[in-house]
Amino acid sequence: MQVPDTLRYTSDHEWARADGGRVRVGITDYAQDALGDVVFVGLPEVGTAVEAGAVLGEVESTKSVSEIYSPLAGTVVAVNSALGDAPEQLNADPYGEGWMVEIEPADPAAFEGLLDAAGYRELTAE
Amino acid sequence: MTPTEPDLSTAAPHLEGPDGDLRHSPLEAAHEALGAKLVGFGGWLMPLAYPAGTLAEHRACRTAAVAFDVSHLGTVRVEGPGSLDLLQAQLTNDLGKIAPGRAQYTHLLDAADGSVLDDIIVWWLDDEVFDVMPNASNTDRVRGAIGGEDRTAERAVIAVQGPAARALLAPLAPEAAAVGHFAVTTFDWRGVPATAAGTGYTGEDGVEVSLPADAAPAFWKSLLTLGVAPAGLGARDTLRLEAGLPLHGHELGPGITPLQAGLSWVVGWDKEDFRGRAPLDVERAGGPTRRLRGLLAAGRQPPREGAAVFAGGDRVGTVTSGNFSPVLGRGIAMALVDTAAGLDIGATAEVDVRGRALPVTVAALPFVRPGEAGRH
Repeated sequence: MQVPDTLRYTSDHEWARADGGRVRVGITDYAQDALGDVVFVGLPEVGTAVEAGAVLGEVESTKSVSEIYSPLAGTVVAVNSALGDAPEQLNADPYGEGWMVEIEPADPAAFEGLLDAAGYRELTAE
Repeated sequence: MTPTEPDLSTAAPHLEGPDGDLRHSPLEAAHEALGAKLVGFGGWLMPLAYPAGTLAEHRACRTAAVAFDVSHLGTVRVEGPGSLDLLQAQLTNDLGKIAPGRAQYTHLLDAADGSVLDDIIVWWLDDEVFDVMPNASNTDRVRGAIGGEDRTAERAVIAVQGPAARALLAPLAPEAAAVGHFAVTTFDWRGVPATAAGTGYTGEDGVEVSLPADAAPAFWKSLLTLGVAPAGLGARDTLRLEAGLPLHGHELGPGITPLQAGLSWVVGWDKEDFRGRAPLDVERAGGPTRRLRGLLAAGRQPPREGAAVFAGGDRVGTVTSGNFSPVLGRGIAMALVDTAAGLDIGATAEVDVRGRALPVTVAALPFVRPGEAGRH
């Protein structure tokens, strides 16, 4: 199970990557493996204001429907619309082409409060 | 990420988590060696998917051939004088339409309201010898009605399905590969007694083979060596949904009669009597008040089980199963819909997907016909 050291994580299995003033968000390798084949991804509109822990979107696999939560408070500034036709990217490349949204955080310092890779590995090792 | 709707491990009445007191297939070690994800289903620990994944397994069944371990199905041997009369009285379908050496799909009904306690395949092996195959979790209930000897633990059942199933099976078991559609044959496989039936649950041509538990791992391994891909319960569910086939606990179950499920052909109306006939006759005379329909979404997002169906602003039904159709590339579902709503093939409706209205079209079942996958 891949847990890149350069990313931050939530206990709900989202990852976050700081990129300039933005934070890119997706689901972890552990999450995509648990979901199985992803067949639909529901994403928010650009411009949507989100709270930390609020529903950011949903991911449907052949076996379940799961909500994705925002790691941080802020505003959605980009969504990966390519997932509309290619939701399987969440399985194939969860940390790359399978990214879901970019958020402009209300408080950039909040990023540092997320789990680091070691903390997330510990969580998923249980 | 948190599941808002239960996954396959908890979704249906007879699906449960991998913990607890589960029964084990004779093929479990083979599944583990292949890297399968195992899940509780009907009281058994069975493969949900192999590393290729549900979508790849589904496509392999539509275009080539796959093997499912369906050892969780029950095998109840009913034999001896009076066996035919007993099954004729307890089950809906008319064995008088077939003969020894044939298989038949049939129902066991609740005598009080005509709802379907289980849907069953009967293998008619010899004059007064039948193997009755209930759904995993319903075996005891079926034995309560028909008696018989539970032979489930003694054997494994492997379903080989897909357009290439017979060709790939032929070098391993030519008698099985040659069995006719809904025919049953016994044969000797490397010195052990085996049975093959031209039945399945995918909408594709195929064969189901029952053989002693000890011999099953070698048969399974040989099948995979011949190019048959292993497939799990996830693909079995999307395949049967595309084929418009009912799953007990979803399209059939308490309160749901064969007429509501569109399965009047499973009922031997010409028989004198059978368990549950009286309430079924009443429903037939007045016409069922609801009916199973296919729903086709415009996009990929599927309607899901339990979702409400609306037409003209009124609630007219409930989704019984829904998922993504790998062949059509769109969401598909089956739903029980009030007949009074008059929703015929081609009518439009809406499904409530967690507060949003998903537009759907009423579609004929099956969604996909055998061998049709290549045309989409």
